[in-house]
Parts: sequence; structure tokens; C-alpha cells
Amino acid sequence: MGRLKQKGKAGAAKAYMTRSAAVKKLQCSLADFRRLCILKGIFPREPRNRKKANKGSSAPTNFYYTKDIAYLAHEPVLRKLREHKAFAKKLARALGRGEWSSAKSLEENKPVYRLDHIIKERYPTFVDAVRDIDDALCMIFLFATLPSDSKISPSLIENCARLAAEWQLYVMHTHALRKVFLSIKGVYYQAEVFDQTVTWLVPYQFTQTIPADVDVRVMLTFLELYQTLLGFVFFKLYTDAGLVYPPPIDTKKDEGAAGVGAFSLQEAKDARSAANTKSKVVEVDGKRISSKDVRQTIKSITASSMDGPDVQMPSVDGAQVNDDDEEFVEDTMEDNADDDTPSAPAFTTAPLPTLKTLSTLPQSTSSKLFAPYTFWLSRETSRPIFEFIVRSFGGRIGWPATSGSGSPFDESDESITHVIIDRPVVQKSNETEAERERRRRRKYVQPQWVVDSVNAGKILLEDLYAQGKTLPPHLSPFGERADAYDPTAGLVGREDDEEMEDEEMVAEGEDEEVEGSADEELPVKAALKAAAAAEDAAALRAAELEAEAAGVDFGTFEKETKKAQKKARKADAPKEDEAEQDMNKMMMSNKQRKLYERMKYGEKKRAAERQQLEQKKWEIEKEKKRRGKSS
Amino acid sequence: MGSEDEGEEEEDASDDGQVDEFPEIDTRSDTEDEDYVEDGEDESEESEDEEEEDEEDSSEEGSDEDMHIFPKAKTVISDITGQPKRVYPEIEPDYDSDSSTEDTPNRVGDVPMHWYDDLPHVGYDINGKKVLRPARGDELDNFLKTVEDPEAWTSAFDKNLQMDKPLSPEELDIIRRLQQGENPDANYDPYEPTVEWFTGKGKEEIMPLSAAPEPKRRWVPSKWEKQKVMKIVRAIRQGRILPNKPKTASTQPQYYAIWNDEPSNAPAPLPAPKPRLPGNAESYNPPEEYVPTQEEREKWETTDPEDRERDFLPQKYSALRLVPAYDQFIKERFSRQLDLYLAPRVQRVKLQIDPESLIPKLPSPSSLKPFPVYRSLQVPHEGRRVRAVSVSPDGGWVITGDEGGVVRLWEVIVGKEVKRWTFKSKVGAVEWCPRMDVSFFAVAIEDHIHFLIPPNLPAPILTATQHVLSPANLPPAPAVPSPVKWVSVPAAQSSSDAPVLTLNLPSSPEPPKQLVWHRKGDYLASVSEGQAGVWMHQVSRRHSQAPFKKIKGAVQLVLFHPSKPYFFVATQRYVRMYNLAEQKLLKTLTPGIRWISSMDVHPSGDHLIVGGYDRKLCWFDLELSDKPYKILRYHSRALRSVHFHPTYPLFASSSDDGSIQVFHARVYNDLMTNPLIVPLKILRGHEVKDGLGVFAVRWVPRQPWLVSTGADGQASVWCS
Repeated sequence: MGRLKQKGKAGAAKAYMTRSAAVKKLQCSLADFRRLCILKGIFPREPRNRKKANKGSSAPTNFYYTKDIAYLAHEPVLRKLREHKAFAKKLARALGRGEWSSAKSLEENKPVYRLDHIIKERYPTFVDAVRDIDDALCMIFLFATLPSDSKISPSLIENCARLAAEWQLYVMHTHALRKVFLSIKGVYYQAEVFDQTVTWLVPYQFTQTIPADVDVRVMLTFLELYQTLLGFVFFKLYTDAGLVYPPPIDTKKDEGAAGVGAFSLQEAKDARSAANTKSKVVEVDGKRISSKDVRQTIKSITASSMDGPDVQMPSVDGAQVNDDDEEFVEDTMEDNADDDTPSAPAFTTAPLPTLKTLSTLPQSTSSKLFAPYTFWLSRETSRPIFEFIVRSFGGRIGWPATSGSGSPFDESDESITHVIIDRPVVQKSNETEAERERRRRRKYVQPQWVVDSVNAGKILLEDLYAQGKTLPPHLSPFGERADAYDPTAGLVGREDDEEMEDEEMVAEGEDEEVEGSADEELPVKAALKAAAAAEDAAALRAAELEAEAAGVDFGTFEKETKKAQKKARKADAPKEDEAEQDMNKMMMSNKQRKLYERMKYGEKKRAAERQQLEQKKWEIEKEKKRRGKSS
Repeated sequence: MGSEDEGEEEEDASDDGQVDEFPEIDTRSDTEDEDYVEDGEDESEESEDEEEEDEEDSSEEGSDEDMHIFPKAKTVISDITGQPKRVYPEIEPDYDSDSSTEDTPNRVGDVPMHWYDDLPHVGYDINGKKVLRPARGDELDNFLKTVEDPEAWTSAFDKNLQMDKPLSPEELDIIRRLQQGENPDANYDPYEPTVEWFTGKGKEEIMPLSAAPEPKRRWVPSKWEKQKVMKIVRAIRQGRILPNKPKTASTQPQYYAIWNDEPSNAPAPLPAPKPRLPGNAESYNPPEEYVPTQEEREKWETTDPEDRERDFLPQKYSALRLVPAYDQFIKERFSRQLDLYLAPRVQRVKLQIDPESLIPKLPSPSSLKPFPVYRSLQVPHEGRRVRAVSVSPDGGWVITGDEGGVVRLWEVIVGKEVKRWTFKSKVGAVEWCPRMDVSFFAVAIEDHIHFLIPPNLPAPILTATQHVLSPANLPPAPAVPSPVKWVSVPAAQSSSDAPVLTLNLPSSPEPPKQLVWHRKGDYLASVSEGQAGVWMHQVSRRHSQAPFKKIKGAVQLVLFHPSKPYFFVATQRYVRMYNLAEQKLLKTLTPGIRWISSMDVHPSGDHLIVGGYDRKLCWFDLELSDKPYKILRYHSRALRSVHFHPTYPLFASSSDDGSIQVFHARVYNDLMTNPLIVPLKILRGHEVKDGLGVFAVRWVPRQPWLVSTGADGQASVWCS
């Protein structure tokens, strides 16, 4: 006989653990447990059967995998948290006794935990990390603009602002930005880094206040993780792009609100060139050949064979990018990593065009959309948004001193082609000749033009977006569901509906006319109904006779009959089909039927939504038309 | 200890003017003794000190003499001897006096006092005389004493004297102090100034305690310490130890190429799902149709935040500079984070299928004709519920029995009523005998089963029928008499007006609810209410027997297998299949229906359908399993009747929702192919009355026609 199975010793009862059990097992406070869960990315699981997982109780609880908790028990961070608890006690005691020196030395030797191992564990490869930085970027950008208070230290905000600027610098440097969307919540940006689309949301530049029902401690814990994650990701991104990380900051410029301009991108050569030469110089036939020479040779061969244009990265204004190509190539850390960066085409290993590279090819052509243009930002437009967008797409941009220092040129610069302005047109009387001339030469566009051009992948006509004009709607570049309402599509289905409606309206008018002779009305309708229902010739004949008796001429009778029959047929055919389908539905299994009903419900809901929008649009168009006619 | 030291100490102490005595140390008291012995000589020296002490002590102690442990003796002349003798004063018991000197009359010592419980005395005094037990009043006296005596509450029972003794003020004070958690000694001063007895200036011990020479370690520096120190010094010099380095100064994390080494081959944790990308409605300048109308806005505002389709209201701004801050921004980020670490994540397969593809593909009903499509005729039954219906085996006639006790015989094709029989109470069941050479049917009413012969039969059939029902020579009576009585009218007197043969069943409140003929027409099974409700009647032997002595559950239905000697018995929940020849249970089918209402077996005998009051219809493949092959639920109310067509691949079910569902049911001979069930047609026409719909459906043999009877008092024929 086999072993007797005991309840609660195997299966779901063992695999799952409630939160309180987990806290008890780890012997830490709930706050520490929460912190650990956030840092380690452990989240509750839903057991198949809650009762089996919770010893027969169906009380509402969260369940965690027992294994997750078992791993947590060996977490170095947990040990540090425990040490911190002891430290807090010691410190409190020292302070209570007024032992200031020992308190100071305690504070100096405070246990601090590091998250490096957690980053490596949660994101075993770099691509994993890049895929998951969306939320991190959102948080960093949010905290970069928050006011500091007792809970949020200024250093934290400074660090967030620095990380945000570093990310923007990288995206600008590599022209990785793909899509921008101005929403009511903020600006959505989408970039492509290492073939991963990274989307982040940046709030508009207003002071945010933290609501009372938001637990800042949770946000700060997340932020702790995100800062570390982004630090490592940026380190890798920068070093792969051959840049020094962290980029040196010019404090003077930063104080002058230069924003991203305060940082300068530096080629990483000094630090590693020594090491490189040491390791990579070999002697061939008594001649010293460095890896640099080898690469240069290979590059010259491939370049000549491809006869390609200069696809080299353009220099970014305000940042001292070293344009020396060979050095750039030399300094990239790994060649294979180099392949992955979309903006740094690797000549060293001329790969066959894969599907992926082919699909990304057209996008890269539009990544320097604004290269031939020079923009001037008007005072009321948001500088961080448009500086970032324009520079990401290769354009030059300047701004007035009121928007911060560091503008590469001033308003009178002759090279300015576009002025991004968000003001209604005001006629200036005291304009000088030169100003007028300048005004004529430049194009004054509203900010939406920039974003719409970026999303369209081409320079749109400026006239639609000229200063003071009513803007065309700004649509989401991310697309909607396949069967969702498409605002760009015309009212196709509506055309004949409209005709029908017109006809109906006419018919209604007729009806109203006829209504005077109500006694006549009834038999006519009855006759028509009979004709529609008539299946064989005899019945039709009888209906015809009846109609004649009622005093309807043959022409109208025929017409009406055809119409009615058509309608009847239209109504009948799908009905029969539907009835058959309905009957077939009874042969579905319970599971299938439920699935089917759920899908149908969703479909119907979406269709209703879509129809509602179409209806609204149709009404708006009609209203416009009427207004156009009347005026 | 030298006397000089002592003297100095004394001086010091007296100079302070705070220290009076040091009784704790024994040696000191010895010296004091000496002092006091020498008092006479030292008087002049120490008089000042003494006076001072006196001043302080006067409040507590009576006189200087108290300080002497051995008081001065007086020399008196003895009365008896006339000689002078020394008389010591009475010793006043003090804090440090021996308690044995206390004046207790009872001198028995610390012995258990219950030894004296039976004796008139409680012990002996110092003189060896008995100390008599003091008089103890009864409880009332004691109580009165406590009331009268104002000091009763401050007195305690003295065990030694066996009486209450008032506590002295000192004792009371001790009690008070103990209560308040103070030191019980009233003289104890917890805040005494420290007295430097052996330290301080001039009190150094100069004289060595031992003559041993001073060890070398006192003045030679330690070699090992030096080595240890040098180790640290060297480490500092070489920069291995950074003195005064704040350990947590490097709060700025150091970043390095963390992904450069090979990743572990453990699978990466699942990435969190990304939030949905914004749609057109979120634009700051959406197309106008996205802007909500007033009512949509109100609706959005009144719904709970959890129930909203969108977490924002679309808005349209004419310019980017007019767009305000989004007030829910932080809240949304926060809820996203809550989702990330608090929400259980379940991995689901996203179905990218057309929902229509879920509907099984079945042959079109039009290709499976013929089947009944329309109602060809109706036979009204004066509004009475028609529960029983049966079609003659040749397919020409129908008998129906209603609740009024009227049994009608009518033609299928035209619906003409040929004859009616009226009984006293409602008809439970009617069933036509399946034999083709004879023609009669059985009607179940009250406790009887009547056998009736339809009118206008051809002569040979009539005689054959009469011969079967009332043979001229009755078969021999069975050995075991049955409670069922067979009463028949002689063949000569038999007519179609009255039952030819009547079976009197044991009494039961309800008429038999079902009659079933065996396919050969000799056996008839009837089901009545109650425990022994199943009877099997054999017409040829005119004998009835109950096949089951006892059966689990209330029997709902019974059924004969069309080809084998099997017998189906349906109780409320189970269908049992018995082999009648071997008299044993073959199978128990569990349809999973709570209350079985109807059952029919396929003409091939391999399939069984069971209908239930809980709207389910189960198809059993008897070869396959005890569990249903298919469970269908398509009627909206309880199923009332199911019936297989004897020849066509059709079956029908009727329900309380007033509809009849016709199915195509093809059964294949090979065991590999599943039976094909195709719903063909829903026949509607019966009205639902009092929640009751169509009671019974029967197929017309040889034709794809259906006869149905309902609660609306109609019998209908449905034709193809």
C-alpha cells in the first residue's frame, strides 16, 4: 500500500502561501515585505482553486508562490533590512542618551543595501531590461519635475532630473525617437532602442501635487529600483554608443536652466585607449599593428564596396560629439552590440540584410526629418518638449533667453526656417522692414505641425498649421484596435443611408399628404402588406385586385410591391440563417458557449461604440453643412 | 589598620559635619568600642565632635548612652544579701537589638501553635508557668469589638498569644512604607553623600601590601601590543585602511557593465504587461466626435471610478498652450505601481479566432428532410390538459386521454374524432398495443388498467383481439396468487364501449403514470406512485407480478429494450438497466439530472435519451459509458417528453416553454463514428398555461409526423 495522502501536504496547499504567512515566515514587517516584493518583482498569484490553496477557507487573501517566498528568505536585501532595523534601534538609543559621537559613528556605518544583483536577476539580458524601462522612465520624468518636500529629498529629484536628461540625450544622440503624441495627460514619446519600442509619458510642465490617498513610500521604493535600473541601462547604452557615462554636467549652464544642454556627451577614449592599446596591439612581421588599424582597413574596404553615403551620426548641437569616425568605431565596446543600435550602422561586420533590418530601414530615413531645417521656439511653447523632438530628428533649434540659457543662436539668425508659435496672429504696426522681410521668409507654424510631421514621417504642408488657424485633429500615432472607429475614414456606409433617409423623408411628406384621406390609407397599406407577403402568383394577383379596389394605380402598386418584397426578402434571408445558427449553438459545449457569448458581447460593445462615434460624426457634418448653406 | 588613619578619618568625617555613624562595618564598630572604652581620657579631645553628634541625634535617640552597646552598670546594695551588686539598666529593644529580648510572655519559641489547640494554655512564660489561653468571644463579639474599638483595624492577630494585639506606631509606619514601596527602615537615607574613606588626598596607601618586587611588565612596553599597533600602522601607511573614512559616503551607486558576463540560463521572469497605448480620444485635439456630449459627461461623472470605461473625459483644446496639467497623473502612476506589485497576474492565451468558428458546423436542416415543419391540424380537448397520447402501430389512429377522464380516438390525417370513452377520473396514461395482428389499447385510470378495443375493426382482427383479451378458456391461475386481479367481459358481450379487460391494481392515490408495452405486445409494464409501483402484466397468462421487491428511489419511468431482454428503470436521478432474463443489474447510468422526467431508447437499442425537469437532455451511448455522451440544454423550461421515431432518424423533445424541438439523430453502425445530432426545427404553437407547456410528443410510425398534446387542451399533428 502506498503512502497515505494527507491533506494540505501537497499540491496547491503547499505551492501557495498567503501574505500573512509569508510575512511570518520571513520574520519581517509588512512594510519590509512590501519593499522586498517591489524590489524583487514578486507579485501575488491567483491559484486555480482558492479554497484548496487556503486550507479550505475562502476568505479574500492574496497568495504568493511558496517558492518565491523561499527565495526571498535568502535575499541579501532582507538581511540588510534586518540590520537596518537593529541600526535604527541603536541610533534611537544613542540619540535618547545624548551620545552624539556614537550616534554619528553609527550613522556613518549605516547598513546600505545595493540592488545590482536584483537588476541582474530580474533582467538577465540587456534586452530584457530595455523592454521593461517604460514604467521606470515615466516615474523618472514625473519625479524630475516634482517639488521636493519632507518625504521627497532634493537629491532624489536632482538624480531623477539627471537620469531624465541622460535618457533624452541618448535618444537625441541616436535619433531613436519614433512617435510623439500630445495627449491631455502629457506627451507620449515612443523610441526604438535595441529593437525594443520604449514608450514613456512626460507630464506637461506644471507643478504636480501628490494627492493624499497616494502612498509616497511605495512610489519611492519603486523609484529606488528604477534609478538603479536606469543607471545600469544608461551605462550600457552610453558605453555601447562610445560615450562616457555619466556625461559630465556643466553646473553653470545647469543653473541657467539649460536643461539637457547642461550635459555634454563625451567620447570615451581617454579611459580605455590605454587599455586597448595595451591589449590589442600585436606585432606582425616586426610591424606594430593595432586593432584600430585593422578596423580602419576593413572599414575602408567595405565602404568602397558599398559605395554608401555618409551615414555617420550627425553631431548634436550643444554636445561635444567627436566626429572622428574611426575613433568612434574603435571605442564601441562590442561589435555585436554595435549592430543592435539602430543609429550606428556597423561597417565592421557587413551583415546580410535581415528581415528586421529591412523593416527598420524606412524608419531610419525619417529619423533625420528635420535635418535641413532650423527652428525657433516662441516664448509660449514648451522648450523641453520641442527641443527634444526637433533635435531627435536632426533639426537645429533655438529659443529665447526667457526659456532658458544655452540657445545656439538668437532670433535674428538668418538660417531659421520655421518658427514654432502658439499665439493668435496679432498685426504689428511698428514692424521694421527687416522684420517684415524675416517674417516673410520664415514659416510660422503651430506646435502640432512638428508632432504631426514626426508621426507622418514626412514634412507636412505648413499651411494647415499656420499661426492662428484652426488645427486639424491630432490623432494617436499608436493606432487603435482593428475594428475600432477610424476618424480618418470618410462616411462610406453613410452615403446610401443618407439617400435612403432623404427618400424616406420624401415618402414621409407624401404620407402626410395622403393622410388627409385616412380611409384610403388603410386598405392601401393592407394591400401592400399582402403583396409583400404573397408567395405565389395567385396571392399576388389577389393583392393586386384588392389594391385596385382601394384605388391605387398599377404603377405605384408595382413599385411599392417590389420595394416591399425586397425588404421582406432582405429581412427573411438573414433571419433564416440566424435561426439555423441559433439552433447549431445548442450543440456547443458549455465552455464554448460561454466563450462565444463573451466574444460576441465584446464585439457588440465595440460595434456600438463605433456606431455611436460614426453617428456623432455624421451629425456634426450635417450641422456643418447646414451652417455652410445658411451662411 | 593604624589608629592614626582612624583618627584622621574621624576628623575628616566630623569636619564635614554630616557623617555621624558607620554601623555597617564591623571593624569600625570595634574601633568605636575602643574609643568609647577610652572615653574618659579622650573626652577632652573629642568633646566637640560628640556634641555635634548629639545635636543631630537628639531628635532620634534619647541620650549619649544609647551609643554604648554595653550600658553602664549601677552599683546598688542588694536587698537580700546586703552586698553591693551591679545592676544594668533595662535593655530597650532597638533596631539592632536581639528580638529574643522582647517581652513576650509566651516563651515556647517558634513552634507550631496548633500543638496547644487542645490545651487550656498556649505556652509557658519565662518562669515556666502556663500562659493561659485568653478568652475568645464568638464571632459576634469579635465583630462588635472591631466596631467599638477604634484601634481594631490597626491590630493584628498574634499567633503566639492567640489574641489580637494593636500594632505599634513604628510597625504601622513600616506597613505604610512597604505599601508605598519605600525602604521599610525610617532612618534609611537613600541620598547619603558619598564618603571617601580610602581615597582622596592624603589617604593614599603608601605602605606596600606585599614585599614582592614590581613586575617588569609594569614599565616595559608590551611587544605584542606593539606588533598589533604596527600592523595597523603599516596598513594605514599602505593605504589598506583609510582612517576616518565614512563608510556610507558613497551613496551614489557605481554603475558598471552588469550585462557583460554571460547571463544565467534560468528563465527570465515574465515582464509585466505594458499599459495600453493611448488612442485618439486621449489627444489634446481629438476629432470632434470624441468630445462627450453633456449627457455622456454626466454619465461619466456619476459612475464610480472603477466602473468607468475610460479614466478620463476626452477634451478638445484649440491650442497646445491651453492644455492644463492632468490632475490624475500621480494617481495613475500610483495605481499602475499598485497593479505591478499587488495585482495577481495570470497568463492567458489570447484567442484570435472568429467567434462564428466556435459554432459547430452541421449539415443544413434542409438537406435532412423530411421532418415535421408545420402544424397540419389541431384537436381541441375542451380546454382540459391532455397528458396521455398514443399512436396506433399502423399510424392511422391516435388516442388521447385528458384530465377530465375522456379518452378520444381520432384519425391522424383529418383529426376526426371517431369515438370517446368517458371515465370518472383523470387518465394517467394510454398506450396502444404494438401488435399488428390485434388492435387494442390500455388506459390507466385510478387503480385500474382498462383494455379497450377501438370500434370498426375488421372482423378477423376483432376476433383475434377478443381472443387475446378474453379467451374462452382462461389460462391456469399462477401458483403464487398476485394482488392484481384480472377481470374480463366474456367475448360475446364485449363491445367497444366498455373495457374488455380490467386490471385492478393495489390502491394508490394517483393513477399509474406510465404504461409501456413490450415490443411483442404480451407484456405491459405500469408505473404507479409509491414503493412497489412497478408492475409487469402478462396478457397471455393473465398474470401480474412486481419485478422489484424493493427499489432504491422513487421510480419515475420504465422502458423495455427494443431487442434484448433488458429493462430500464429511471429513478429521480439514475437510470438502471436490468437484465430480466438473468435478473440482475447491468448498469447504472448517471445523467447528472436532478429529476428525470422522460426517457426513450433508440430503436437500435444502443442509445438512450433522458430528459429532465432541469432543462437538460442527455444522450447516452450504452456501449460507451455510464456518463452521457452529450448533454444538451436548449429548452428554457423543464423537459416533459422525449421520443425517438421508430423508423426515421429523428427524435423530438417537448418542454414547458411550449416548444417542441425536432432533431436529426443519425446513429452509425461502426463504433468509431459518433452519433450525429443536428437540431432541425423548433415547433411552436402550443400555448403555455399555468407554467405548463407540451406534455407529450409521439411520432406517427411510418410517417415523419409528430403528435403532441399540451396543457392548453390541444392535440396537434405536425407534418412535413
